[in-house]
Amino acid sequence: MNLDGIVIKTENIWKIYELGAERIPAVQGIDLEVRRGEYVAIMGPSGSGKSTLMNLIGCLDTPTSGIYYLNQKLVSQMNDDDLAAIRNREIGFVFQTFNLLPRATALHNVELPLIYSGAKAEERIEKAKGALRMVDLEDRMSHKPNELSGGQRQRVAIARALVNSPSILLADEPTGNLDTATGNEIMKLFDRLHKQGNTVILITHELDIAKYADRIIHIRDGKIEREEIIGN
Amino acid sequence: MQFLESILQALASLKANKLRSILTLIGVIIGVMTVIAVASIIAGMNRYVADQLAQLGPTTFFIDKWGIITSEDEWFKAMKRKELTLEDMAAVRDYCENCEKVGAMAQTMGRVKYGSQYVTDVEIHGATGNIEEITSVVAEHGYYPTDYDNEHRNQVALIGWAVADKLFPGLDPIGKRINFLGHTFTVVGVAKKMGSFLGQSQDNFVAIPITTYQKLYQKQRFDWFAIFIKSQDYQSMEKAKDEVRLILRARRHVPYKEDDDFGIQSSESLMDLWRNFTGTAFLVMIGVSSIALLVGGVVIMNIMFVSVKERTKEIGIRKAMGARKRNILWQFLVEATTISLVGGIIGIIVGAVIGKIVDLTTPLPATIELWSVIAGILVAGGIGLFFGIYPAMKAARLDPVEALRYE
Repeated sequence: MNLDGIVIKTENIWKIYELGAERIPAVQGIDLEVRRGEYVAIMGPSGSGKSTLMNLIGCLDTPTSGIYYLNQKLVSQMNDDDLAAIRNREIGFVFQTFNLLPRATALHNVELPLIYSGAKAEERIEKAKGALRMVDLEDRMSHKPNELSGGQRQRVAIARALVNSPSILLADEPTGNLDTATGNEIMKLFDRLHKQGNTVILITHELDIAKYADRIIHIRDGKIEREEIIGN
Repeated sequence: MQFLESILQALASLKANKLRSILTLIGVIIGVMTVIAVASIIAGMNRYVADQLAQLGPTTFFIDKWGIITSEDEWFKAMKRKELTLEDMAAVRDYCENCEKVGAMAQTMGRVKYGSQYVTDVEIHGATGNIEEITSVVAEHGYYPTDYDNEHRNQVALIGWAVADKLFPGLDPIGKRINFLGHTFTVVGVAKKMGSFLGQSQDNFVAIPITTYQKLYQKQRFDWFAIFIKSQDYQSMEKAKDEVRLILRARRHVPYKEDDDFGIQSSESLMDLWRNFTGTAFLVMIGVSSIALLVGGVVIMNIMFVSVKERTKEIGIRKAMGARKRNILWQFLVEATTISLVGGIIGIIVGAVIGKIVDLTTPLPATIELWSVIAGILVAGGIGLFFGIYPAMKAARLDPVEALRYE
């Protein structure tokens, strides 16, 4: 299989949850391809299976069946620890609720992925400062999350996602907990990061937000309903 | 880094919840404290007893009709036995080849008077002239009643340091006449200060010739009589003991197969008895501290479950950022061990303080034993590791998706 330039490639992936005797197919045979440097939005109403799809793409979970290549590595068969290593190196998560460690400073939060990749202290601090500079928060690095505004928190989270130079930035409703103005600022930041060459995957249920992407994949009932190319 | 972070996390959560921390740690604190305090007290007692028994000397032993009594039965049996006599002593002196020096001492209690001054509960020793060479009672001024005094049943006395101190403050006691149990004696010597043993002053005595003692006091009160023997060296002491047994059994007509009707005691046998006793105390200590440590461990396990539950979200975040199972496992193990070690260190400090208080307020030279400190730290750390492993494994096994969703 030729996977040159392709970051994400899924073939007929399924995720079926078993609740007692009941089987709930949350993702039903999705084929997806994302090229390096693309900006893709995955859009769908709640219950459409987009969160499950995000967990699969983000290697937080493994598909019940199907094949998933991430950056040319077959991840659909990996064990927990290998998946942890993949998450560490290949994926930068940005969550709706920021998911920062409340007791740690901004700098330490950004350092977190580097701790698990085994980087030395000096290198860690340098890289984390660099990532905070990229989101214009270098002057807030010794602040804890509760000393930062919502937009600043999300920018810390984005810095954390960027710090290990991952293959994809995976953002799950990144503006969901922000007001419109701040949300727009965050979306502009993603725009900028995309223009700098990052691959961005955005999970959202809002069309306004999805329209920042080059391509929108509409999900309904665990299947791809249609794709839409946006001419920004 | 991750290691340091876990330690700091553990210390921070202990600091944040002071009351909860104390309750969490109390089991480990009590467990370790018991080990440290009891070990230091027992070590102090051992040193003390060994020091005191060393006064008897390693090659000296004595025989009395009592032996070492450990039960009421033995006491009643010993009560009915014949006393040893000066004739027994003479026989031992004449026939025992490995006995270098043979003496005897009898002992009772009484009140010693000088003019209107008096001292109560004084040990009154009747001793042969050579007892000074056999035991550690030494005259500092004047002399110990001699063989000559024994031959003539002279009414002379050497007085203990404490008796001299109380009866003759600022006076020279030599030549003064003192009175006890209805008779008058001339002071001919003052003994060197010996200190106290198990809270009992060793200096509260008077020593008179044993012949005088028997003439004046044997009929009314004859509390204790013992033959003291010094052998040439440590090797010949066992032979000397055997010889003495044969001589005394023959003289006292003890039938074949019957036990001795007297007891031979040396500093070694007394030390053995003591070690037996402290060994029991040691076992009790281990019992108490094990229970406390077990309870402490279970409490730590419980608090770690709470910690894992409270930080489910954090575990999810760390896993999303690439933490492997072993990273999470280590984080919580280090945390549990740190908590337990804090308890251990507090326990060591409290135990050491108790040891120090005992040292300062009692005659026991209680000292903190290095091995007990090391054991305390190891046990505390081990408790943290052992009881932390299950909660840590639970944390490590959390599903990242579930953990991230946890609020």
